[in-house]
Amino acid sequence: MSAPIPSGPSRVDIDRDSVGRDLVALVLTVVELLRQLMERQAIRRIDAGGLTEDQIERIGTTLMLLDQRMTELCDQHGLTPEDLNLDLGPLGTLLPRD
Amino acid sequence: MTPPETLTLVYAFAVCRGGGLTAPAEPLAELPGFGTGAPVRTLAAGPLTAVVQDVPAAGYDEEALRRRLSDGAELERCARAHHAVITAASALAPTVPLPLATVYLDDGRVQEALGERETSFLTALDRIAGRVEWGVKVYAPTGPPPAPEAAPAEGPGPGGSGRAYLDRVRTRQRGREQRHTLALRAAERVDAVVRGLAVAARRLRPHGVEVTGKHRIHVLNAAYLLDLGRERELRAALASLRRDETDVQIELSGPWAPYSFADGGIANAGIANGGATP
Repeated sequence: MSAPIPSGPSRVDIDRDSVGRDLVALVLTVVELLRQLMERQAIRRIDAGGLTEDQIERIGTTLMLLDQRMTELCDQHGLTPEDLNLDLGPLGTLLPRD
Repeated sequence: MTPPETLTLVYAFAVCRGGGLTAPAEPLAELPGFGTGAPVRTLAAGPLTAVVQDVPAAGYDEEALRRRLSDGAELERCARAHHAVITAASALAPTVPLPLATVYLDDGRVQEALGERETSFLTALDRIAGRVEWGVKVYAPTGPPPAPEAAPAEGPGPGGSGRAYLDRVRTRQRGREQRHTLALRAAERVDAVVRGLAVAARRLRPHGVEVTGKHRIHVLNAAYLLDLGRERELRAALASLRRDETDVQIELSGPWAPYSFADGGIANAGIANGGATP
């Protein structure tokens, strides 16, 4: 999304490749947002107690595989983790920046 | 000045109190302004004086300005020209900067616009007389690269890999939240100290990644209006803040013409071009 296109802010560059890539980045951004939300929710549930060791292990493994899959998808499309973010202006960025 | 057949507009940079500029206005006349060939001049409007320059309509009407200001390099050139004139004027007299790209059809319209806002300009001029603006920015460095997470490749005995993964995620989240809270608190302390020296303060919107770069987050973007004699105090206060607040980077800029404290602005006054302020 934040690929350095050195043109004015109001100009839209309708280049087939870059549009396709931007769309992939946007989709993956949304997926990444959901993935991170699930992680947070999982950790909250675990911290609240009430999950068995086995359940925790299963949730953790699933989330870890999702994380790996995201990394693979990003690699395939030549995107970096920084590309999967949106600047929401005064609200900051969609995903936390470390 | 300009050939009569060329249609010109009047670009207004700033407003001063009448008489403030009239005597030593020569330094202004030597400025290139927008480099249109026309001199930067003063224009009396009742108790006020505007600093203006004739610009060709072709390059400075609404459409042309919009195009100009959406081009990064051109925007920078305009902003620098605008800023140079305002800086020169503020060196001569208390000056209320006008928004970038404030353009009028002719001198009469400038005088009209100033007349309508006379009281607020005079109030703003009173407020900024003998004072300058300083900018303080506080940045939090973004977290250390994922290296020091101490994530052993194989999961520790009891947990297994799923649990270990969640623990790593938790540690990372906590660390990030903690760093963020610390940085925001530091920013509040910096703001409180500088506010104590200032007669007025304004918090502006922090910049995003494209300005700050990836390695830091902008947590405080503030402007302060200080009496002219307080620079030394301000610098001393910031030096001591820099010693105490080791979690953040503190940057000082200025002194500036009081851009953030001149609400006499006449943007969007409905003349040729209100103000395509970026």
